[in-house]
Formats: sequence, C-alpha cells, structure tokens
Amino acid sequence: MENKKPKIGIFGLTSCAGDQLAILNCEDELVYLANVLDIRDWEMAQTNNDNSIQLDIAFVEGVVAQSRDLQALQAIRKRTKLLVALGTCAVWGGVAAMKNQIPKDVLNKEVSGEEINILDSMPALPVKSFVKVDIQLPGCPIEKDQFLQVVTSLLKGNLPEILKFSVCSECKMRENACIVIERGEVCCGALTLSGCNARCPSHNIPCGGCHGPIEEVHYDANVTMFKTHGITKDDIEQKMAMYAAPAWIPEKLLAEK
Amino acid sequence: MEKNRLISIPHLGRVEGHGGIEVEIENGKVTRVNMDIFEGSRFYEMLIVGKKFTEVSAIVSRVCGICSAGHTLTSQMASENALGIKVTPRTEFLRSLLLHGEAIESHALHLGCLVLPDLLGYEGPLTMVKDYPAEVTVALNLKKLGNAIQELIGGRAIHPINAIVGGFGRIPTKIEWLKLNTDLQKGLELSDALVDLLAKIRLPEYTTHTGIYAALEPRQDRYSYLGDYILTSDGVKRPISEFRKICHEKVVAHSTAKQSLYNSQPFMVGSLSRINLNYRYLTGKAKEAQQKLIPNLPSHNTMNNNYAQMIELVHSIERSLQLIKILIENGLEHEEPIKYNVKAGQGIGAIEVPRGTLYHYYEFDNEGRILDADIITPTAQNLANVEKDMRGAVETLINEPVKVIRNSLEHIARAYDPCISCATHLVEVKVK
Repeated sequence: MENKKPKIGIFGLTSCAGDQLAILNCEDELVYLANVLDIRDWEMAQTNNDNSIQLDIAFVEGVVAQSRDLQALQAIRKRTKLLVALGTCAVWGGVAAMKNQIPKDVLNKEVSGEEINILDSMPALPVKSFVKVDIQLPGCPIEKDQFLQVVTSLLKGNLPEILKFSVCSECKMRENACIVIERGEVCCGALTLSGCNARCPSHNIPCGGCHGPIEEVHYDANVTMFKTHGITKDDIEQKMAMYAAPAWIPEKLLAEK
Repeated sequence: MEKNRLISIPHLGRVEGHGGIEVEIENGKVTRVNMDIFEGSRFYEMLIVGKKFTEVSAIVSRVCGICSAGHTLTSQMASENALGIKVTPRTEFLRSLLLHGEAIESHALHLGCLVLPDLLGYEGPLTMVKDYPAEVTVALNLKKLGNAIQELIGGRAIHPINAIVGGFGRIPTKIEWLKLNTDLQKGLELSDALVDLLAKIRLPEYTTHTGIYAALEPRQDRYSYLGDYILTSDGVKRPISEFRKICHEKVVAHSTAKQSLYNSQPFMVGSLSRINLNYRYLTGKAKEAQQKLIPNLPSHNTMNNNYAQMIELVHSIERSLQLIKILIENGLEHEEPIKYNVKAGQGIGAIEVPRGTLYHYYEFDNEGRILDADIITPTAQNLANVEKDMRGAVETLINEPVKVIRNSLEHIARAYDPCISCATHLVEVKVK
C-alpha cells in the first residue's frame, strides 16, 4: 500500500467550496489521509499541483455553470480512473440550478444593471449531464463521515455503498415528533436521501431536502399528504424547489400552474 | 531586465474559489493590474426573488461555505429588520457565539493551512506537517474548535440549520455547553503557540500607503462582530442603512464579481480594518496578542491582516467562554422563536464576517416574498484595494526578477483571505 498510494485530485467547479471545506474539516483524519493518499492536485489547499498527471480518483464538487467549468470537467474525466461527484451541486445541480428558470439576458441585466454580456454563463447542470460519474455522494454540504467511508472503501478496493433510505427513516429512529403531522409544515424528509442522521428535524426544523431525492421517490403521494395537512401548493413549491430543482419539482405540481 | 512584461498568474492556489492575477508592464511602467475572478456566476440576488423570507437564509448560505453562518445570520437579520421583529437577548448571545465559532474556524484555516505554509516555504499544510507537526496540529485543533461551536449552535459546521428568523430551533443542553467550555479552555492555551510562531515571522511590507478602512462599530463598547453603525477611517459614522454610500458597486470586465469604491477610492474591510478602528475594545489575551503582533496601530501594512486574524481568533475564544457562562447563568429552558406578523417592507442586515462587513438588503411584498435583494460581500469590497496594493508592490519591485514580483502578488492576494480568489503556481512572462 505504502508505495502504491492512489493518486488523488480534488476539484471545485462553480460552487461555495463547502464540500472541499468539509474535507478540510476532517481535522482529526487529515494528516492520516495525507499519508495514505497521494494528493497531487488540490488547488484550494496546496500549490505545486500537477494538472496533467493521471489520477486514480478525482473528487469533483460544484455545478457546471460556465464553459470554463465544462472544459475543466472534461479534462478531469480524461485523466482519472474513477470520478466521484461530491455534494448536491455536483450530483443534482443544487441551489445554483434554480437559476435555470430565469432567462440569461434577464440575469445579466439584473445583476450588472447594464445590458452588457460579459458573463460566460450557461444553465447550471450536474456533473453527470456531461461525463460518466462512478460514485455520487450528495449533501449540502457532504457529511464528512460519509466522505471518510467512501475513501476507506476505495482504499480497500471496494465500491462504496451510499445508504439508500430516507431522512424520514433516520428521523423515526431518533424518535422525533413528526413536523408535518404536529405542525402542519412542509418537511422533505420522506423524499430525501439519508446520511445526515435527520439533522434538521432533530433541531425542530423541517428537512429542506439538501441531499436530494431518494430513488423511486413518491412525489405525488407526498404532495397529497402535505395537502391533507392544510399545506398550500405554494409552500410545497417554495420548499421543494431549493436543492435539486431539475430532479425535484414534481412535474405535476408545476403543470397545475 | 525587459521593459515590457506581462506577469500572469492564471490560477491561484490555497484560496477559496477560482481567480488569477495579471499585471502588465510597459516601458518600465505598470499599466494594468487585474485581480481576475472567474468563478461562475450563481446570481443569488435573482434566485431569491419570489422566495419567502423563511426560505431565503438557507439559499444565501450557499454563497460561501466558509462564511455560511455569516450569510445565514445576516439574511435573517435583514428579514427581521424588514418585518419589525426584535429577538430575545438569548438569541443575540447565541448568534454572537455562532459568529465567534465561524471566526475561529475561518481564521485558523486561513492562518494554519493557507498562510503559514506560504511564509515558511511549503506547498500546503500537508507538506508543512512533516517539519512542523505541533504547529499544524494546533491550527487544526483550533479549526476543529470553531467547527464544534458551529456544529453545536448552528446544528451543522457548514450551512447551519438551527438558526432561523426569530430565533433558534434547539437550545443545547447544559452537558453540551460544559463540554464546549472545556474545549474552549484547551483552545485558549493552544492559541499561545500559534501567536508565538507568528510573532517570530517577519511579515513583508509591500505598501505603506495610508489606506481607507471600514468596519462596524461594536455594540456595547465591546470588541464584537455585530453593530448598527459603519465606521470609516476618515472619521465618519453612518447607520448600516446607508451602506450604499460605502459600497458603490461597479462591474468590471475581467471579473464575475463586482467591485466597490468609497468616495471613488478603494477601501479595505476585514480583520485589519476592525483592529485598526476598534482595537481599544480589546481585552485579556487578545490585547496581549495585539501588543506582541501589531504594537503600533493603526497599521497600513495590509500584510498585517494575517496578524489581525490571529488577534481576533484569541478574542473569539475568550469571548465564547464568557458567552457560555452568561447563557448557563440565564437558564437553558426551551424558548420558541419569536412570533411575528408578515408584512411588506424593506430591511438591512450587516455583520462583520471573517473577511469584512457583509450586507444583505431585502424588499418584501405583503406575503413576505422577496421583491428585490442586494448582497455585498467583503471580498467584493476588497477587490479594488487588492489591485491598488498589487500596483504599489509592483511599482516598488519593478526592477526585481519575475519570481520576486510573483511572490509579492501571491502574498498580497492571500493576506486578504479572498473568498473567491487566488494564488498561483504558474507564472507566464510574455514580452510584448
């Protein structure tokens, strides 16, 4: 193992850098990670990066929101054996993808106050829209324990298993009172992929859905359930449009407009 | 030495986000200095139009992972200002504590992982650890301490979930407070080592121009990150509602971030500005650290922003210990967030986040939906000043080899701890 450390790159496309920060937040494990991984390219944390070397694993955070991101992503894919999409932006588009609803000329005009097109902007889309992704670890930000599990699995030569159940299941295991039933508020827990140990409901805050949807999510059933608790369509949309807009907003709900 | 040079630093390393630097020299004169920002635009001010005030703070938190607590709270304070909500003293204490956690984490990350390797000649903390294991461990432990505060009060170290308009979802238990108290006491001892290491390093001085500084005036005569008035070093004091007089924003072609000017002049925000304007409020070990690191104030060497961050790091640990004592003394029973009525209005929030003053301004309709928003980040305010400093440095070093100029540019950029910016590993020199 010592002389065959996997070569690692950690990259950020357009993002808040929160997922790379979550890696840096592994304060107790960071020195160990630096010993077992050969981190060759990580612009946020080191200089003297090698941007041509072939990598074993590339971790990519962020969303493709400009042609610059796309070029960077394609170059990363060409030089890595495995590509891990880190965080909800990379996996689903994240908060940034909310901008796709707004026309480009309106965006440029509003932000700059002038009608000049200096901004190289394109619809914000997740990594899998452009290249093959081998492993997806969502979260806004990623949970560092889950990141460490992914790394240790890969070090052992296994493909990591990301838990597939919902935040609602984790919430039940923590015996929290249900926010939808008790308070009549939108909680995305039943739709959202677990991993956070139901952080928000455990703080008396409804789940916002920041890990993105579970597989085979029952949007319609949830929307019906919300409505039976007196929640308006507008409140449902406000909450559900936030983190994984392209995959998240139920088409039927939008069609009702 | 060539008379015409283009010094280009296409990617800055060890900063948060994507940026570069370009300097053009013609006939021995500096003709252009650009700090380029090419992080993709995410249009936050547009994204939140139509969103309800209850959802907005979670969205704008995603502007920046490192300052996420600052964005969350500034947003909530702007909404409360618009809706006429007054929060309880406990909520104010918890917010202060959350901001101290963010300052500890952010300053420890910047000093330990980004700046010290620079000053000691390493590529990053992971190579520096081989020769300086104790110092890197201290920096990482302090960073962890800041995260522990944010995890406990914010419910998550990055993008806090527990802070909401009107208060907090959950109040930590006494056992959780006592554990944090123990960690903070250990952290305060550990911080000595970092102060001493920094005191041994002589920071370079690239520019000594008298600059303009801006920071919030602390409330209650105590060094703090919360305030209702903006102080500028020309002696003027304004309510935060007049923030546009401080920050005239303009779009520049080489950057996807906007730049700010004050009376048509670049100005600086951040730790050094706060220390320059408010150092008389420092007490205890923070004051001792200030006397060791920047004895003569105000300082016009912007490299001293690194030292100023260290002073604030010590202050934030000391103040956190005091705040925990107050919170426990006042009782820890559950407290519901403040009840309020939704109405149309406009509101401003301002907080001193690690890199400087952050402003959020919102206008709401009568259902509490955003009609208009303005978010002005510290890095945007600093960009023009970074370019001014770089120009000054290049003019001084104009006859030096490219390597020396390049180092100075990187040092200056990194001293500002830019959230979207730069440091470099590739310098291209082209003769025109």
